[in-house]
Amino acid sequence: MKPSFHPGDLVGIQVRPTRLWTQSLSWVLFVAGIALYVHLAVVRHQENPYDRVVPTAKQLYTGMKNAALQPAEEDMPLDASATLWQRVHASMLWKDTMASARRFLIAIALLIPCIFLGLHMAIFPYFGAVFQRFVLFFDKIVALSLLPILFIVFGIEEWSKIMLMVIGVGPTLILDTFNIAKSVPQEQVVKAFTLKSSNLDVAYRIVFKQVLPQIINSVRLSLKPLALFLFAGEMIASTDGLAYRIALMRRHMGMDVILPYLLWVALLLFLLDALLRFANRRLHPWYQPH
Amino acid sequence: MVSAALNLEAELGKDGRIAPMPRRVEIALRDVCVEYPAGRNGVKRVLSGINLDILEGEFVTILGETGCGKSTLLRLILGQEFPSSGAVVVDSKPVRRIDARCGYVPQKYSLFPDRTALGNVIYGPENARSSMFGRFRPSYRRFRKTLREEAVAFLASMGLRRQDMDKYPHQLSGGMQQRVAIAQALMMRPPVLLMDEAFSALDPSTRSSLQEQLHKVWLDSRPTVVFVTHNTQEALLLGTRLILLGRHGDEQAEKSNVLLDMKIPPSNEPYARRSHSAEFHELHEYVKQVAYKSSSMHRCEDATQPLNAEGIL
Repeated sequence: MKPSFHPGDLVGIQVRPTRLWTQSLSWVLFVAGIALYVHLAVVRHQENPYDRVVPTAKQLYTGMKNAALQPAEEDMPLDASATLWQRVHASMLWKDTMASARRFLIAIALLIPCIFLGLHMAIFPYFGAVFQRFVLFFDKIVALSLLPILFIVFGIEEWSKIMLMVIGVGPTLILDTFNIAKSVPQEQVVKAFTLKSSNLDVAYRIVFKQVLPQIINSVRLSLKPLALFLFAGEMIASTDGLAYRIALMRRHMGMDVILPYLLWVALLLFLLDALLRFANRRLHPWYQPH
Repeated sequence: MVSAALNLEAELGKDGRIAPMPRRVEIALRDVCVEYPAGRNGVKRVLSGINLDILEGEFVTILGETGCGKSTLLRLILGQEFPSSGAVVVDSKPVRRIDARCGYVPQKYSLFPDRTALGNVIYGPENARSSMFGRFRPSYRRFRKTLREEAVAFLASMGLRRQDMDKYPHQLSGGMQQRVAIAQALMMRPPVLLMDEAFSALDPSTRSSLQEQLHKVWLDSRPTVVFVTHNTQEALLLGTRLILLGRHGDEQAEKSNVLLDMKIPPSNEPYARRSHSAEFHELHEYVKQVAYKSSSMHRCEDATQPLNAEGIL
């Protein structure tokens, strides 16, 4: 028989709340946040109908619609006969997203060699001897403090921002891959050699294949710092991109654009993370997280 | 005095075995000594004065308490570690690297987790046939097909059901995993099979069925087996020869770790019956006593009651 509910159970560890309860409770803070926002918006708009700090739903909708269908202020306005596709394509949101996504994806592509460096450091003793200490040292350098040097070396165009992301996340990813690959039991390597494996077989077909799911999880965790460095770079020196727009809108309190933008960024990151997680599960059905 | 008696016994056993069977020496250890640096300027001797000739087709069980160097001895044969002095020769070539001369079945992590049972078993022969890039020739496909059939037949003879062969290791029980691991090693037909506490993590009934299985496989193809265990009964049942190692005492630096090197009388009886026979019990007690006399615990008692220790002999 199920014991009846007792107020003390709310802080109990051994309680077993029903699924309905846990599901509804998980939405409580969202509802509370939205309610608080609506309340603030109503109060502020009673004082000043043109308030821009806490926009109403209508203002947000207009802001979103303009962002998604109208070109940015600095771009050429579209003529009235443009199709929906042309409008979306020329819009502020689309152009900003494309500019940021391009930097983000190039940085991820440049991080792939970092993964292989970490793998080789863990498997080949001479690789480890050469690189390990240096990467450990490099990891401690605050990447943003390198920004002046990056501007000098790579100019203030695209590459300084991309390199900021790579330098900020790369060493951590190298060390993480190193640790993951090191944790493969020695028995596996020994066994592989007794089965006539070559060095490359052991590195790629035994160790790499085995740790790939963990490496993908590590990349998933790095998405957030990557976005952070991207935004830092774009806010400091850029003429397009999502963070550039947010920094620009901040100057004239354009919350009706900033709020949709930050939710859009969160959604994009969530989707990328979900894609990697899904791919990981599908590609590695044998993986048992411990 | 005790040690002198044991050495004599060991030599007798050796002479008695070599005379009737002139077989090739598969594994030879010559004056092997292993030391590790310990502390600031001390060294810890793990193995010392090891001289062993293991003949082709022998099933050698290595028995000893924890820390006596039995796994180190195995790693020397494997090529994972190297002796501080002395030489290790396997298949008449000195050991320099881990290679396909030895098959290897460890206690844990014995299978590749990212391959199915069948994938694990065919991994070795695939490698042996061609490197990473030779896999695109049409002849490779035909080879792979016959290899798969062979692997399925072998796994079936090891007691695996067909539907289990496409499962990943984490979906198999510990006993099944070790069956697959043995098949994986033996598919390469290695001259030497090394097993490091391979059955130690299994429950007693699974363990005895695997012992029977291993014995059957060994009778079929007669590889040279070196089987490390800390279970006296397992060592006596499986082996044709038993080597008992003792922990190395720092007080006698040159003394060999080998306490006992004896031939085990062969028997065709099933293990369950044999392990209950009177002779088996006698042998079991004898080995246990020799091991106990050299154990560190006994050495402590030895200091206070020297007469009692002699009494056991």
